[in-house]
Amino acid sequence: MPGCALPNTPLAGALPGINACVHCGFCLQSCPTYLNLEDENDSPRGRIFLMRSLLEGTVKPDDASVQLHIDQCLGCRACEPVCPSGVPYGQLLEATRATLYEYRPTPFIARLILFVFAREWLLRPAMFFSRALAATPIPTLLSGIKGRLGFAMAMLASTGRSIERSNYKPVTRGERGTVATLRGCVMEGLFSTTNRATERVLTVNGYSIVGAPGQKCCGALHAHAGHLEDARALARRNIVAFERSGATFIAVNAAGCGAIMKEYGHLLKDDPEWHQRAVNLSARVRDVSELLAAAGPREGGPLPVKVTYDAPCHLIHAQRVNEAPLSVLTAIPGLELVPLHDFDQCCGSAGIYNLIEPDTSDAVLAPKLANIRDTRASWVATGNPGCLMQIGAGLIRAEISARAIHPVDLLDASYAAFGQ
Amino acid sequence: MVAERLAEIVGPAHVLSRQSELLVYNSDGLPGYRRQPRLAVFPGTRDEAIAVVRFLAAERLPFVPRGAGTGLSGGALADDIVVVGLHRLKKIISLDVENRRATVEPGVVNLRLNKHVAPHGLLYAPDPSSEAACTIGGNVAENAGGPHCLKYGVTLNHVLAMTVVLPSGEIVELGSKVGERDGYDLRGAFIGSEGCFGLALEITVKLTPKPQAVRTLLADFTSVDKAAHVTSAIIASGIVPAALEFMDGATIRVVEDSIYAAGYPRDAEAILLIELDGLEAGVVADQETVRRICLDGGARQVRVARDDAERMKLWQGRKKAFGAMGRLAPHLIVQDAVIPRTKLPEILATIHAVSEKYSVMVCNVFHAGDGNLHPNIAYSADDPAESERVHKAMVEIMQACIAAGGSITGEHGVGLDKLGYMESIFSETSLNAMCELRGVFDPERRSNPGKVVPVHACKEWHGIPGSAKSRGAREASPLEAEPSRPIAR
Ligand SMILES: Cc1cc2nc3c(=O)[nH]c(=O)nc-3n(C[C@H](O)[C@H](O)[C@H](O)COP(=O)(O)OP(=O)(O)OC[C@H]3O[C@@H](n4cnc5c(N)ncnc54)[C@H](O)[C@@H]3O)c2cc1C
Ligand code: SF4
Ligand code: SF4
Repeated sequence: MPGCALPNTPLAGALPGINACVHCGFCLQSCPTYLNLEDENDSPRGRIFLMRSLLEGTVKPDDASVQLHIDQCLGCRACEPVCPSGVPYGQLLEATRATLYEYRPTPFIARLILFVFAREWLLRPAMFFSRALAATPIPTLLSGIKGRLGFAMAMLASTGRSIERSNYKPVTRGERGTVATLRGCVMEGLFSTTNRATERVLTVNGYSIVGAPGQKCCGALHAHAGHLEDARALARRNIVAFERSGATFIAVNAAGCGAIMKEYGHLLKDDPEWHQRAVNLSARVRDVSELLAAAGPREGGPLPVKVTYDAPCHLIHAQRVNEAPLSVLTAIPGLELVPLHDFDQCCGSAGIYNLIEPDTSDAVLAPKLANIRDTRASWVATGNPGCLMQIGAGLIRAEISARAIHPVDLLDASYAAFGQ
Repeated sequence: MVAERLAEIVGPAHVLSRQSELLVYNSDGLPGYRRQPRLAVFPGTRDEAIAVVRFLAAERLPFVPRGAGTGLSGGALADDIVVVGLHRLKKIISLDVENRRATVEPGVVNLRLNKHVAPHGLLYAPDPSSEAACTIGGNVAENAGGPHCLKYGVTLNHVLAMTVVLPSGEIVELGSKVGERDGYDLRGAFIGSEGCFGLALEITVKLTPKPQAVRTLLADFTSVDKAAHVTSAIIASGIVPAALEFMDGATIRVVEDSIYAAGYPRDAEAILLIELDGLEAGVVADQETVRRICLDGGARQVRVARDDAERMKLWQGRKKAFGAMGRLAPHLIVQDAVIPRTKLPEILATIHAVSEKYSVMVCNVFHAGDGNLHPNIAYSADDPAESERVHKAMVEIMQACIAAGGSITGEHGVGLDKLGYMESIFSETSLNAMCELRGVFDPERRSNPGKVVPVHACKEWHGIPGSAKSRGAREASPLEAEPSRPIAR
């Protein structure tokens, strides 16, 4: 490009990825914001064109409409697996947000959340408070009120609705190697039952669990918002913690966290001291369903429930993990798996997007809820905390009786029914 | 003021007037060309679309219809005028399984229509490679073709009737849903009119029953020349394949590098993708004949897809080939010449010679069965010397096609890109006749002005009153008008 308008920015570094776009339009129909907002500015091709225009200088980084359309992107990356030219859209988006970050403030609520997530001394009490609140009837009572507060309450209320199961003690021969799990801020804060279930089902399937003390937030939310330095700082801490654990695999049960951890190599590509370590670490990261599928998984006791599966974007599009979660579900005797129409479409959660862009988020969620209702399933399985809460809250507010659940919890309940 | 009035019709969210928001509408699938629109308006219902056109007529404002913007001739570009985007009109209005027809709004995406009718054992035959993105309205305007049009015919052969809003706001029905029409059948005039005759608002298409049997063959060759001769031999044998597609070695390798990798042999210099369909017995016989012709003509191997999944994979690779070329170089340019099939070996040799002469990389992927070539050149527009060579190479290739008795566009349309070639293949009389025909639909020349027929040949529109740009009566003449030179994008 002759004369770059934004030299030495993350966006300028992303030019080769932008250049790979041939403007063919194959990504348009995969994009939830394009389908809902019906404007090419809100399509992958359009956003890539805006990025190019920023570099060409035909549009300025402080332009309000450019910021709007970049903000409105869900970062779901549904545009990536359909692109014949291999445009790394997720990376372009992060680079753009990091570049625009200089020119305008991140919305207050987003800044607050990111600030808290990067600091353990704030995150712990915040999660403690959320957990305590979730244990009271308050969220359920307030979940019906209009607006974001009601939605946030419904999100909290949805976290307390997992499947009942009895205790069992898993035994392992550990033949499949050692595993350290990412505890995750939201997972450990609000879905600790799922975290324990993750450890149990991995154990049943021949993995032995080792600790990784010192691990932090994965940094995904920061990276998506363009706060790349914060994300890098968190990544370095995690690299140290997981290297020290010596585990063969790092198991992640939150798709969004798994996706960024698999991309630590890219995140730290310009840091000579850390790059190779990051690449090595990324190579050991697995979604929990991948480890389970590799082991079978072992069959458990009968669980006669009707379940449908919704693929988290960061699992199916970013990590390209398609089959493994289905193998987990089909390994459960008695479980009836019914297909969900558009199961690969975003639910509108997208990290903290549902709190910052509520209207678009709601518009994207609405067809998802209708499709779930049509399946008449009693559970919607999905492996990401954001999706669990977004869909869970939507179901509560739309008074649909289905509940959202992590696939691992269903497998765990099946093992519990078996007594192991 | 115009924007406000339009916003009253379609709602403020669906009118764009800021320069920065209009940027993404400045190009189509061939972004070497850019034209900045003045305004964009996206009606959400049929009534809104009619109201928009009537308002523009009352104000005498020129406009350009736009579908999905996948066109490859710059047809949907609006030079300082209004874009009327039809992508929000995406309802499948009715499906009549018994009589095998469907009525759709223009913004319905081609593949979506096909997915909708598939459960009924039906298909909509025209299958442009862009089917996953392009709209039926855009297909009508460009008379789009696709691999399977060799046997089944192009869009024109599959549209029964249309409701059209003329640029004056008047509504006319063209063709007939039920068969013959009294009076003139003007379908053929409208289909392929590239947005210059008004908006297609409702389109009734013919659906085709799925064939009983389908076989997809992949023949691979160590030379382009052998594959070209085999193409001619298959056609000469009297068999009409459902599709007969050609890809050269460079194309094979970019596809194999992409997520649409189809398992094509990387070391081949050419492959033919041949589909045969019809009744089981006939297909089996044809398959054997075609296999023999390929092997006799020097094919290394002829593979038959085992199942639907493998067939789909072979086709996806072909259909995503253009997109996959983005990995070669930042910019891409493609031509769309049609040549007599017997000249295929000769022209491919010429293309090869030209590419060597200008040291540019040409990827050939095209509808061999109907002689519709698509030479693609990937290059960097930031390098002026390279751009110059690419430009010269393309002109030379086009001239060779014209000299071989070919035409300048098979399916992508003239648009802006091929305007400069029009006078080298049409006489003044023909061009005048085209202008007169246009005058019947759009006497004020307000719908997609400045496209298809060179401005000076047609005493075209001279700009919006008060517009920043108003065009001179005469543009540069044909081939020196730099027909396919892209602006750095
Ligand atoms: C990767 C790729 C592969 C392609 N493969 C093929 C192929 O195999 N065969 C083929 O024929 N083409 C192909 N094309 C070209 C293109 O997809 C077709 O020309 C298609 O018909 C354009 O549809 P669209 O909706 O994108 O129209 P646009 O590009 O938006 O518009 C094209 C023209 O149609 C007019 N128009 C659009 N909608 C209407 C309407 N409702 N009423 C009146 N005028 C209208 C516009 O004014 C413009 O002149 C390909 C393009 C790409 C990018
Ligand atoms: S599919 Fe890929 S190359 Fe095509 S427009 Fe979208 S991002 Fe660009
Ligand atoms: S990440 Fe999702 S929302 Fe953003 S452009 Fe891609 S498909 Fe659209």
